[in-house]
Amino acid sequence: MIQVEHLTKRYPGRTAVDDVSFSVGRGEVVGFLGPNGAGKSTTMRILTSYLPATAGRVTVAGHDVFADSLKARREIGYMPENVPLYDDFRVKEYLHFRARLKGLRGRDCRQRVGEVMDLCGLTDMRKKMIGTLSKGYRQRVGLADALVHRPQLLILDEPTNGLDPNQIRQVRELIRHLGEKHTILLSTHILTEVEATCGRVIIIDHGKIKASDTPEVLQQRLRTAGAIEFEARAPVDDVAAAVRALPQVRRVLSDPMEEGWHRFIVRVDTGSDPREEIAALIAAHGWPLREFIRKQASLEDVFVELTQNQ
Amino acid sequence: MRIFLILLGKELRQFFLSPLAYVVILLFMLINGVSFYASISALTRSTSGANLVTWMFRTPWFYLSYFAVFPLITMRLLAEEQKLGTLETMMTAPVRAAQLILSKYVASVIFYIVLWLPSLANLYLFQYVTDGAADVPRGPLIGSYSMVLLMGLLYLAMGLFASSLTRNQIIAAILSLTLILLHYLVGFVAVYLSSARMLDLSEILTYIASVEHMALFTSGLVDTRPIVYYVTLAAFFLFLTHQVIEFRRWKT
Repeated sequence: MIQVEHLTKRYPGRTAVDDVSFSVGRGEVVGFLGPNGAGKSTTMRILTSYLPATAGRVTVAGHDVFADSLKARREIGYMPENVPLYDDFRVKEYLHFRARLKGLRGRDCRQRVGEVMDLCGLTDMRKKMIGTLSKGYRQRVGLADALVHRPQLLILDEPTNGLDPNQIRQVRELIRHLGEKHTILLSTHILTEVEATCGRVIIIDHGKIKASDTPEVLQQRLRTAGAIEFEARAPVDDVAAAVRALPQVRRVLSDPMEEGWHRFIVRVDTGSDPREEIAALIAAHGWPLREFIRKQASLEDVFVELTQNQ
Repeated sequence: MRIFLILLGKELRQFFLSPLAYVVILLFMLINGVSFYASISALTRSTSGANLVTWMFRTPWFYLSYFAVFPLITMRLLAEEQKLGTLETMMTAPVRAAQLILSKYVASVIFYIVLWLPSLANLYLFQYVTDGAADVPRGPLIGSYSMVLLMGLLYLAMGLFASSLTRNQIIAAILSLTLILLHYLVGFVAVYLSSARMLDLSEILTYIASVEHMALFTSGLVDTRPIVYYVTLAAFFLFLTHQVIEFRRWKT
């Protein structure tokens, strides 16, 4: 559905997107993840042909977004960051205007506007002025606008930005529902969002792609870079010395707790799993043990690791 | 064409459903009324053969209201779309920049025409209450109103251009007022140059001076040269506006 080849976008004195290539297949829900200023919005603006690329080629549904821009735009439902809307329109009126602009006519247009208002929970708000709507409802109007011309591809730039937790859940629910029928590319800097909604994650930072995989695989890849945690009643120095003697262990941290108990956090090398050895050590010394867990790296750890280590 | 009409509908809706439009119309009618009154009293005192219509477009009142109107009409058009970010939703829908710009321009011209209609009513009402004693001569009427339309075509295009350059409406308004006054003042430079005996230059400037055109048209003389001049210059400013909006797509 989306083909991006060697996309580069340079602004004067700054490279926003640097030789990025990726593709999104039909029916996929892909999350575009990166810190603020990583080049997410720029990439999306190029995909929707709002901005030109400095170099590289982008096709959407087989249409080049620059040479064949109008055709490409018809296939895309785009919701820009912060959802720009005309405040002096009523919800229904605005959606009607947008639907006609995107080529719907007559009865089909009225019907479709009714459908998307239903889908986005806007039916009760249809007569409200957009300027009086809350942020959550504005977001829904933007989403309804993106959907109204039955596009194959939805591009959503920070769809849950600035919403309260309830609204976030509602919008995510909606996106998940839409993902059953549409190809979706959404950007976010919120990790749980990607875990909740996306089948695949593209992590981008400083205009470069750092990783592209399913959330599960990404977590697995870094899982072992996580930690083993246990609580034991033992002298800190003895435990630390014994555990540190193991070849896979990088660091041992400890927190004192009540009555001689300590919580130990053991950082281990990537790809290793010394749980057996640690357990054997503890057993051999006869230290009382009351908890023993392996902390799985969350997507957040993956993200921090990928975007800060360079 | 369909897209253009949809956009035009949206622009007209935004014009006529906003309070600003009615404030502008009110202000304009008020000053227009004063200008009309001034022209009547000028006419009663004058011994020259000039008529009511001619006087109407020569009072300072007229120009006072006249130039203020263009920035008020056009400052919003593109600056607001850029500020709100709706230019992005607009240009990522299957809409060409030319369609967007033309729809805004045509809507502003329609609004401008609506603005002028009450002044026409002034004239006919006056003719009616004086039971036909006050003559509204046909030639000067057609001449002066077509001149008003021609100048409007150009100044609205200038205003739209100014609005495309910035996302700040105030800056857009000041820019367009500057452009319009600069263009208008060229006529006075011509007068100055002719008094300074630089006749060649003065003659050239006279061709592009609105005051001269106005004087010509209000006397009932419809000349095709100014028509071509205003229409092509307006088209040129629309072209510039188009380049500014599309420039976003060319800068790398």
